[in-house]
Amino acid sequence: MKEIVLSVEKLTVYRETYAAVQDVSFELEAGTDMAIVGSNGAGKSTLVQAILGILPRQAGEVLILGRPLTRRGHLPSSIRQQIAYLPQNFLFDRRIPITVNELVALGWDDLGPKLPWANQKQRRLAVRQALERVDALHLGTQPISRLSGGETKRALLAYCLVRPRRLLILDEAPAGLDVRGESEFYQLLYQLKQEQGWAILQISHDLDMVRKHCDRVLCLNRFLRCQGAPDYALSPDNLAAVYGSDFVRYRHQH
Amino acid sequence: MSDLTRVIELFQLPFMQRALLGGVLTGLMGGLMGSFTILRQLSFFSDALGHSALLGISIGLLLGINPSLVLLPFAVLFALGITYLLERTRLWTDALLNIVYSSSLAIGVIVLSFVGQYKGGINNILFGDILAVRQSDLVVSALLVVVCIGFVGLTLRSQILLTLHEPLAIASGIAASAHRTAFIVLLALVVGVSIKAIGVLLISAFVVIPACAARMLSRTFTGYVMLSAGLGALGAVLGMVLSALLNLPSGPAIVTMQLAIFLVAMVLPRTKLSAV
Repeated sequence: MKEIVLSVEKLTVYRETYAAVQDVSFELEAGTDMAIVGSNGAGKSTLVQAILGILPRQAGEVLILGRPLTRRGHLPSSIRQQIAYLPQNFLFDRRIPITVNELVALGWDDLGPKLPWANQKQRRLAVRQALERVDALHLGTQPISRLSGGETKRALLAYCLVRPRRLLILDEAPAGLDVRGESEFYQLLYQLKQEQGWAILQISHDLDMVRKHCDRVLCLNRFLRCQGAPDYALSPDNLAAVYGSDFVRYRHQH
Repeated sequence: MSDLTRVIELFQLPFMQRALLGGVLTGLMGGLMGSFTILRQLSFFSDALGHSALLGISIGLLLGINPSLVLLPFAVLFALGITYLLERTRLWTDALLNIVYSSSLAIGVIVLSFVGQYKGGINNILFGDILAVRQSDLVVSALLVVVCIGFVGLTLRSQILLTLHEPLAIASGIAASAHRTAFIVLLALVVGVSIKAIGVLLISAFVVIPACAARMLSRTFTGYVMLSAGLGALGAVLGMVLSALLNLPSGPAIVTMQLAIFLVAMVLPRTKLSAV
């Protein structure tokens, strides 16, 4: 049996006064790729943000690599360093002066105080290799404010890849990539899970991609409507429960 | 006697040397902390902190305690209080800061009216007196510079990530709230320590102007932070020379030179210099 990288048990998260996610439980194994699908407002981003400790949870447990995430969102740094997160909207102040090399290097360093010039050689090498992997080596010295949406995504992906991880959490990651970039992106994800055993949890609206690439699917509508292999989870009945019957009729006709 | 000789002679006087060193230390820490302050859109925070210090000084005078001793704890408590209010009320930052700073300024002036004649003079509170900087002030400033450099240097990765994208920082395990509070406390200390030399009205210039000038000349984050600190110190040196040369008040002369540096940064060709 494969190692359980992420275990979520009866997770409930409130936003303002309503439960955005309620009673959600699932497990994610090493070397597998799980997609979270659901309509807008179904709680997909809330779920991953609670798993990462960005949002507080009101009930339930989250275990990452066997270690519990505390109510205050704390995880041992050795575990944190095994997690990479690619947010849905990387909104940042474009006046911040930072190059792609610097951004990617931020993902390489260990947590905790250290001298900025420590391990400079190894850091440079790791950054270079990560950028090469996402075909963005030419962007290294560019300020991130000058990047297009797709280039920014590549730079962020390099930030995730700059050191070995065990869990990759993606919130609508391929949005903004062109057709070639998207294809390379899924190829890369496949390599990471097959060759390096990364567990991947990704939010997606692209049901065809989910059917084609993912091992398991969670259907979320604040509650967990279903989970399982794509053929089961994306059946017309389950899709109707998540998106409504009109959506299933429309999808069938097209 | 030429102007240059006169300036050189002036800087041989111990009080001028202390003033110069005080200016450099203040410029250095103002520029360093200012580099993050402007990017986190806290410029008005440093301004409000400076203005509200008048209340701290007034309370010290009313209670018969040396205002310098009251100023630092007051600045820190005030900064923490504002941070707490911002998190609790969820009001717009500039609106809340405006309420706090104008009301503490008003209360400060009322308290001062009970104090009677303040021998230091209101002008010294408003514009500072860098020429009155003592050895002990220099020691405190130097210690604070070391703390600021240590804090920013050792936590640079966390500070950059927090400035760039807070959710990404939290997801990578950075304790955002603790880092934010530590930064605010340090900024409050920098403002509190610098007020004696610069005064409550001009203190925010030390935090904001060098950082803005450095931003226009920088391409990398690390280069930007170092340049901001460097320009803060450079502004202080040039300002002190200008002050000695033309017999101008020192604090305003330094801010004027910082403005000159900012204007030069604005007109310099970006393509050549933005490689820092």
